[in-house]
Amino acid sequence: MFDPDAEYVRKAGAGDSRAAEALVRRHLPRMVALARRMLSDAAEAEDVAQEVFLRVWREAPRWKPGAAKFETWMHRVALNLCYDRLRRRRERADPDAGLMVADPAPLASEAWLAQQRAAKVEAALSQLPERQRAAIVLVHYQELSNIAAAEMLEISVEALESLLARGRRALKAALADVVQDLIGEAGGAPRG
Amino acid sequence: MDRARFEQLLEAYGADFARWPATERVAGERFAEEHAAALAAGLRDAGALDAALSSAPAARGDLADLSARVLAQAPRPAQGFGARASWALAACALLGVVIGYGGGRFAPVATDADEAYFAMAFEAPVDLSGEEG
Repeated sequence: MFDPDAEYVRKAGAGDSRAAEALVRRHLPRMVALARRMLSDAAEAEDVAQEVFLRVWREAPRWKPGAAKFETWMHRVALNLCYDRLRRRRERADPDAGLMVADPAPLASEAWLAQQRAAKVEAALSQLPERQRAAIVLVHYQELSNIAAAEMLEISVEALESLLARGRRALKAALADVVQDLIGEAGGAPRG
Repeated sequence: MDRARFEQLLEAYGADFARWPATERVAGERFAEEHAAALAAGLRDAGALDAALSSAPAARGDLADLSARVLAQAPRPAQGFGARASWALAACALLGVVIGYGGGRFAPVATDADEAYFAMAFEAPVDLSGEEG
């Protein structure tokens, strides 16, 4: 199995700063985006991405290309760090406190429909069970193949499809008004 | 590809065939073309959900600071043999100076008794057997 990162990882592990820069350039934005989607918190997402790379630097000197690609391993690390943070949030959360993400309501007064939609989508995503959210983030946002996403979640492709379908059904229900608006816009028909 | 599998895939991956499994993508597109009317509503709804999800772009802040912090923690090159040998030589030289200086300071100081023994060592032996005459 060809791993496009293997050589960079080997060199970065030996202290090659150019290889380290290449890995950061290639993967840091994706790690931040993944954590941002999972946690709905920009600062926490950066913390997670930094922690992922701390582990990358620690593992790089002894990294051996094996069963999983380096990118798969990084995504697993990032997802596990996100799960840990979500679990700690649940443990800390006041049961009456409701969602821990930004409520889209404050944006309701803003004129930009796009921002309202984005906030609603973020809120709906944050309400999904974390495995469903992870599946949708990996396939829809990270644009990973079904096989890669299943490997990252350490499940079968069939189980991935089940998570995706359940997640999308829940999102469709939560975002019914947004979906109807988009259908109306696409078809030129009034919303009904 | 049959309708049940098509709908299963549509439900899981959405209306963008690029996200479908590589092994079923072509068959799915062909099936959609062949049954366009029957599948139109499902594809439209799934496409609208795709569009809704994509309307929330990942916040792309400036990652320069984060990149710098991350790179500051990257492994450093191991020192080569030359550098290690230079450090070893410098350490040996320093140790030599310390031993030489300390050795001089802490050597035993000669006492009067030492000098007496030293003088006796070079005196002519005394003839203890002869008697005065």
